[in-house]
Amino acid sequence: MADDAPWYEAALLVGVTNALNVVADSPLESLEPASPSAEAQAVFAEIRAFYGRPDVPAAFRRVAADAGYLADLWGATRRVFDDNQLTRRHKEALAFAVSVTTRSAFGTAFHLGEMRRLGVGERGVLEVLGVTQMFSSYTKIADTLQLEPDMDGIAAVDPSPAPGGAAPALRTRPPEAP
Amino acid sequence: MPTVRLRDASEYPAPIQKLFEVAKAWFKYDFAQPPAMSRVMAWDPEFGGFHGRAMKRAMTPGEWTRAEKEMVAAVVSGVNACAY
Repeated sequence: MADDAPWYEAALLVGVTNALNVVADSPLESLEPASPSAEAQAVFAEIRAFYGRPDVPAAFRRVAADAGYLADLWGATRRVFDDNQLTRRHKEALAFAVSVTTRSAFGTAFHLGEMRRLGVGERGVLEVLGVTQMFSSYTKIADTLQLEPDMDGIAAVDPSPAPGGAAPALRTRPPEAP
Repeated sequence: MPTVRLRDASEYPAPIQKLFEVAKAWFKYDFAQPPAMSRVMAWDPEFGGFHGRAMKRAMTPGEWTRAEKEMVAAVVSGVNACAY
């Protein structure tokens, strides 16, 4: 994973996972419309199909009173969770790790379910949990001692341009004074 | 600034210095000094041995590749807002 693209993708996934979790874990049941609009129902149908389940996750139900917002939230969610540079299976593992780390009851259960549905075995689940737990230890030890980053030199720099863009111009030294 | 003085590799006993060489091979990178976390873990070998083995078990390829696990580690570190 020397290219930047999968890391951009992972970062967007972390953000959306947290955004869904904060709404789903909050006491916001009262916001769920009793009779969602036709537009919201259409989005719900896409969500059910994507996750292969009969119900709609709470994070989406709670914003369904604004069908336009729901559609955009779902569009962003689908984009970051669908297969791309990273597989959907791996993305669910990342979302599970984020949810465990942030103590999200909704996210932990939801993404554990999705990992299993997408074929991750018990060993695979425990592997993700082990990495999550070990780095939850590692990071706190480092923070307590206020260690400074010293491993960034390992990572290669990706010289490719932004998607659809041009490669950066070569920088030349300005002429020196005679 | 770290709240402790990180000792140079040369200040550790010989058996620990051998472990630093193992760590270098694990990371496939020639550090001028072992990473700070390696030196912290080596401070108490009776802790660092267990923790290091658990870490290595967690990061060894299994159902997930090492690269996939490194990304899990990165997002956990990011969510924990750990600059290190």
